[in-house]
Amino acid sequence: MDPVPVSLDFTLNQGSFTLSIHEHFEACTVALLGPSGAGKTTVLEVIAGLRRPSAGKIRIGTRQLFGSDGGLDLPARGRRVGYVPQDVALFPHLNVRHNVLYGAARGELVPDEKVVHLLEIEPLMDRRTEGLSGGERQRVAIARALASAPDVLLLDEPLAAVDVALRGRILTYIARVRDELAMPIIYVSHVEDEVQRIADWVIVLDSGRVVGSGPPGRTTGR
Amino acid sequence: MFVSSELLHVTSFSLGMAALATLVMLPPGVTLAWVLARHRFPGRSVVETLVSLPLVLPPVATGLILLKLLGRRGPVGRLLDAAGIDIIFTWKAVVLAMAVMALPLLVRTARAGFEQVDRRYEQIAETLGASPARVFFTISLPLARRGVIAGSILGFSRALGEFGATIMIAGALPGTRTLSVAIYSHTQTGQEAAALGLLVAAVILAFTAVFVSNRLSDTRTEH
Amino acid sequence: MKTSRWWLTAGLTAMAACSALRNDNPTRVLVSAAVSLTGVLEQIGAAYHQDTGVYVSFNLSGSDTLATQLIEGAPIDLFLSADGAQMDRVATAGRIVLDTRQDLLANQLVVIVPADRGGTVTEPGDLTSASIRHIALGDPDAVPAGVYARAYLESIGLWEAVAGKIVPTRDVRAVLAAVEAGNADTGFVYRTDLFNSKGVRLAFEVPLDEGGEIYYPAAVVTGAPSGAAAARFLEYLRSLAAKTAFEEAGFITMSADS
Repeated sequence: MDPVPVSLDFTLNQGSFTLSIHEHFEACTVALLGPSGAGKTTVLEVIAGLRRPSAGKIRIGTRQLFGSDGGLDLPARGRRVGYVPQDVALFPHLNVRHNVLYGAARGELVPDEKVVHLLEIEPLMDRRTEGLSGGERQRVAIARALASAPDVLLLDEPLAAVDVALRGRILTYIARVRDELAMPIIYVSHVEDEVQRIADWVIVLDSGRVVGSGPPGRTTGR
Repeated sequence: MFVSSELLHVTSFSLGMAALATLVMLPPGVTLAWVLARHRFPGRSVVETLVSLPLVLPPVATGLILLKLLGRRGPVGRLLDAAGIDIIFTWKAVVLAMAVMALPLLVRTARAGFEQVDRRYEQIAETLGASPARVFFTISLPLARRGVIAGSILGFSRALGEFGATIMIAGALPGTRTLSVAIYSHTQTGQEAAALGLLVAAVILAFTAVFVSNRLSDTRTEH
Repeated sequence: MKTSRWWLTAGLTAMAACSALRNDNPTRVLVSAAVSLTGVLEQIGAAYHQDTGVYVSFNLSGSDTLATQLIEGAPIDLFLSADGAQMDRVATAGRIVLDTRQDLLANQLVVIVPADRGGTVTEPGDLTSASIRHIALGDPDAVPAGVYARAYLESIGLWEAVAGKIVPTRDVRAVLAAVEAGNADTGFVYRTDLFNSKGVRLAFEVPLDEGGEIYYPAAVVTGAPSGAAAARFLEYLRSLAAKTAFEEAGFITMSADS
């Protein structure tokens, strides 16, 4: 897929914590790297529209999502962002099928075949969410996000709740999403190796500031 | 005990009115509960206090306020009278008194139910493109349903036992006589046998309602 | 879902109950009356309906509540109060037709003792004895029966001596209950209450001319929906049939020119 232009140019003040990021780049998959508490999750929440920055602008591809100058602040539901939080948050009162279908276009009774096939969740469709393993939950959550036809996928520590042995497999699924759906991804992690395999651009955060950004290999492995 | 026709009549009337009052107060009550659980806005504590008033004021005082508002000479009553609508001393006043007195209980219990719903679910639903109304009906409400149902049942039982406000705006007429009012009338005139029968009915109903409501509120299991 | 079906049934029951009670007869007289008149008024109302076909409905509560409702514009035709002060309130608010105001009935204040302790109190002086530890009264600051009882005791110079033994209660009904149960050794109630209770007996009557007589004024309400019918019913309340019923219940009936 062709790299997508991204502008993450904003500040957010919250009590003693200040997040400040001014990055403009083009990429297919961006990784946000850094220790916990650096503000990585906050960045995703801001992009998703769940938190409002104090000032700045956010642009993904050709769409501007936020711009304090022009008074633009698209509500979360209008941003066409697929968000998979760290705690996955599958709706407990709906089964897998209805979870996946939640964001799908009105009238669609069957989730996008491609998405189901890609993440291999066909056998899980009629199961309740309680009994799923960490890896299964992750795949369902990604499918749910994709089924809403977003412009970008936001993944927050997708491997954290997955067995070590299976992490490689999940990464493979994510890579498939990137390649076969041409979906730009913003991926948060605190593990360098993961990031190397997936991303073509890395931003390193520490205490709310960007301490390095560029293609992987250049910024990481310092 | 004596299952007189009065007992049956008064009990079914009270049940019917309490049920109607519960239905009537559900939409505003559940909405209020959700708004108070989720949103900060200027004047929020004022709203909270107003909603709690009927719980804290003596029922007769609440009844008096309603009477002053809705009586022929009151600000709202005047308009109703001009439109030919009768509320005071009709069954509508019974429903209104019950709903006003029971609303705080519904709001409190339902609000606790909503507060227990993890905001994360609502946020995800938003990112998936759901409007606030859709989030409310497909995520918030279903996940809070135990609290809402428990609040409804509690409100219903409060409505059933309502007396002070009811007697003030609905009077103690044949057409508006609830279980509580009937018990009052009979004890005031020394007709203890009749009062006793009604009393037993009232206690059984109240006990059942509160018991069921408590069982539902017990959130040990569940997500 | 089961719950919604149940509510539907309950709601329909309510509607049915209401329509059964809605009065399709054009003439209906709505009377607000003191709750102590409950049984006897219903009896008289039924007889009146037999005679004339007019429905009389009674709104029975404490006189203070009735007065408040009237002042706020309740759609009542006739007011029968157990307390002159409440009638005055309503009159001041312009809600009664003044020249229809009349004292219809009277009740007598009496002193009672528990049924199994007859003879312990036979005259006012006995109230000061050491064996009488609790005297139940309607609250002398709020309840008419209590107000009159206190006035009587003050007039015979006994109030100071017994003030420490007074147990004020919410209403006369509570006085009856306290004496019946033996929690109070004696109490002040109306003669009509005596008729209604088996657990107490008369100790002595407060003489009518010493403050023992309490009047029940009646009046037609201003702008009443059925004012003429109300006036006719009021007249009926002075008929022989009505008088007999009132006297059997323990009330004293007043003549028309009092």
